[in-house]
Amino acid sequence: MADPLTLSLNGAQHLVSASPDTPLLYVLRNELKLSGPRMGCGIAQCGACAVLVDGAEVRSCIAPLSSVVGKQVITIEGLAQLWAKKKGLGDTQAASTLHPVQQAWIDEQVPQCGYCQSGMIIAAVELLDRNPNPTLPQIKDAFTNKPPSPHLCRCGTYAAIIDAVQLAAKSMNA
Amino acid sequence: MVVKTDRPGSIAPTLTRRGFVKMGGALMVSFQFPALSAVAAEAPPGAATTHLVSWLEIRQDNTILVRTGRTEIGTGMSAYYAQVIAEELSVRPESITLLMGDTDRTPDGGYSAGLLSGAANLRKVGAYTYQALLGLAAEKLRVPVSALTVDDGVVSGTGKSLRYGQLVQDQQLDLKIPVSGVPARVDPTSWIRIAGLDGLIVLGDPPTKPVTQYKVVGKSHPMPGIPDKVTGKTQWSCDVTLPGMLHARMIRPATLGSTLISVGALDKTRFPTAQVITKQNLVAVLSPNEWEATSAARSVASATKWTEWSGLPGSENLTQTLRSYKWGAPSESRGKAADVNAALAHASKTISATYEQPYIKHAPIGPFVAVADVRGDGTTTVWTHSANSQGLRAQIANTLSVPIEKVVVRWLDHAGQFGRTTFGGDGAEGDAAILSQLAGKPVRVQWTLQDDLAWSASSPGWVEDITCSLDGRGCVTALHSGFYSPQSNDARIVGAILAGMPGIQPEAGYWIATEWPYDKIENRLEEAYGMPNLGADSSTIGMRGLIMRTPGQRQQNFALESLMNEAASCAGIDPIQFRLLHTTDQRLIDIIHATARAAAWEPRSSPHPGARRTGAGPVAGRGVAIMIRENSYWMGIAEVEVTPETGAVLVTKLTLGLDCGKIINPRQLERCMKSGVVMGVSEALKEEVVFDKGKITSTSWSRYKILTMAEMPEVKVVQLSRDDKGFGGGSEGANAVCPPAIAAAFFDATGVNARRIPLTPAYVTTLLKGQPAVRP
Repeated sequence: MADPLTLSLNGAQHLVSASPDTPLLYVLRNELKLSGPRMGCGIAQCGACAVLVDGAEVRSCIAPLSSVVGKQVITIEGLAQLWAKKKGLGDTQAASTLHPVQQAWIDEQVPQCGYCQSGMIIAAVELLDRNPNPTLPQIKDAFTNKPPSPHLCRCGTYAAIIDAVQLAAKSMNA
Repeated sequence: MVVKTDRPGSIAPTLTRRGFVKMGGALMVSFQFPALSAVAAEAPPGAATTHLVSWLEIRQDNTILVRTGRTEIGTGMSAYYAQVIAEELSVRPESITLLMGDTDRTPDGGYSAGLLSGAANLRKVGAYTYQALLGLAAEKLRVPVSALTVDDGVVSGTGKSLRYGQLVQDQQLDLKIPVSGVPARVDPTSWIRIAGLDGLIVLGDPPTKPVTQYKVVGKSHPMPGIPDKVTGKTQWSCDVTLPGMLHARMIRPATLGSTLISVGALDKTRFPTAQVITKQNLVAVLSPNEWEATSAARSVASATKWTEWSGLPGSENLTQTLRSYKWGAPSESRGKAADVNAALAHASKTISATYEQPYIKHAPIGPFVAVADVRGDGTTTVWTHSANSQGLRAQIANTLSVPIEKVVVRWLDHAGQFGRTTFGGDGAEGDAAILSQLAGKPVRVQWTLQDDLAWSASSPGWVEDITCSLDGRGCVTALHSGFYSPQSNDARIVGAILAGMPGIQPEAGYWIATEWPYDKIENRLEEAYGMPNLGADSSTIGMRGLIMRTPGQRQQNFALESLMNEAASCAGIDPIQFRLLHTTDQRLIDIIHATARAAAWEPRSSPHPGARRTGAGPVAGRGVAIMIRENSYWMGIAEVEVTPETGAVLVTKLTLGLDCGKIINPRQLERCMKSGVVMGVSEALKEEVVFDKGKITSTSWSRYKILTMAEMPEVKVVQLSRDDKGFGGGSEGANAVCPPAIAAAFFDATGVNARRIPLTPAYVTTLLKGQPAVRP
């Protein structure tokens, strides 16, 4: 077995024993026991497995573990902490704070089955980081035309996602 | 002690005090089959003992646990059910915890899309319980029941009050309520081969709260599971891990028609902990490490040999194949054949059309996944996201040949499936159970997207011929429809078929799903014809067909509403006015008017005076469709832009109106209506299962295309809530209303009838070039 690799995940360092070619998604789910990122298509065509790697959206179902060593990986489990750090919140306050995108997803009642929503939230965080005030066409474009594929939702929550992105933008800019 | 409620007769509930306890008093509500019921006499032995769990528990600490075999399928059942029962109990919905779908911990069974039967059940459970609680309070407070009032779980009378928890304090109370129905079991005489689809149904007519006094139902209470889903706390069915569990990936032939010649070798130097398990045509690679299972399966699959099978016609020949099939008598027929035939024969003007649609897919974002733990003594536990846990349990017991009492199915959230597990079959559960039985270890089976799009059953393609006659005023005098489709109830477990283990045999046939909206069309004849799976003489191989969201009615409504739109155009009448000419149903009339107003509809006939099939730039059109389904009245208005040069169709706006009786949760209903539109537009514009002579080839998202966010129209929702019409279904429907409205809008824009969906650029280009246009 190869030497363990170090993975920086949600602000903490983890030694992982998976082989370097293992897709990040398998490592996150099976070795690090996270249930946020999910197996969808397995071929980077749906977005259910999306995570942030150094702030950029990456499809973890095809990204080998070796490609993220030395980089910061964030999943939906780490978004609250990311936000707390950005805002300089104390520990107590941070513990009861959600990332504004997550809060907007709750407030706008976005998830139906919810299976794709982890990836949708990651895409929204990335979009709002790049563009704090996206227009409706820009939101649609980000969730549809950004490589490697559209973010797909079979329940059809697109309208709710748009509402939530706009709400999150408002609260993040407040 | 037995407290008699005020319900007379043999189906009265009974409240029994089992005893007194020092801590943890509770009222447990469970059921009994009425002694004299014919249904009870038919209930199989062991029915009562397999289900001795409570429906509802009111505990000393004022918490309430509600158990239902129905599950959350992404439409909001977890909110609706809690609201309905909270209303009857006069408590806040937040005080209710729902336990869903576990066969050993829920009493009622049934399929999860059945809001109406599920809500009716829980409403009665709540109502019976409420009466029992009043009886207890009357006894304790020494006041008559008529003098009691309840607010938020506090019963008050003559200046004294008690919380529900105090009523059950230090006691064990059992309330037995009467039910009918049969527990799920494999039953060759049932049309889907599984009895008990509806689960248990609560009998009697307990006094329910008047709708005018509702405080909980009708309010937009939040969906309970959402905070956990957005923070990563939800445990999904794909997250189940057990000690010693093996991960499995399936190695499949191209189709059910192929058989195994030889299994590829497993390279133990590359995959040291992997193993191959084979049983007849069921082949899998298992490993404690999921990535090893995945990689080894790819390697083994590439060297595994199967016989060739080529019994399919190819998707491009589907309609022709359905046309040439020797259909027997209709499997269901409704209406007045003689009157219709006479009216059509003597009509001065008739309109005939044939409508068609390809196979489509449920296509969840998460492919099937399941975990099974089958022990040496036959004790079996399966973790699933099936929409019918009890039906699945019956099938698993049948396939493994173990007594049903030994099988437990546990339900967890997962990707929305839109009806493909309504009958309790299909999926990875069978693979997992069979492999666990063979391996002697717990097994988790994850289908790939390719597995899922190739191997899950599909909603069959269909053809419908429909004809109507018009009188001099432009009114329909008679209508005849013939619907032709492969069957859509193949709920077999794939693993059982491949492994040659016991399973069910689906029956060829189809049914009339239309709920007739046009009472002024008195002469009508509807016929539905079914055939076995495509490519099979019997339903053993070929393309497996299964119901999907708004089953049957989605297909049949497309033909009916498209014909009504063509007839309106032929009569030169505005399509909304045309519908109003053919109904006296006030609920339908009201939702038509409300939706038309919301869309700022201006009456005129179709096509638009500026309609064109050639030329530069987009041309706009609008169209209408209605539907009645499950006590719900739907009206959709589509606005589209067609670009003749490219064949592109863009739905720019969709206005959707719905009267579903008393609305339980307006906000969640709005979410469901808007999302239903997404699926409806997707079906109208994009979705088609592509297959060659041997297999499905549209096995990725780049080949089986569904609607993306950028293609989503602006959606405007109109809701009418009624206090006097009960509950109606709100999460199906939208996908069936959109396609005919979009097809009508296409005609309005171009003057060319679109009688087939999806309206892909390639098909639209052919249409615009080929078919003669109707002159505006």
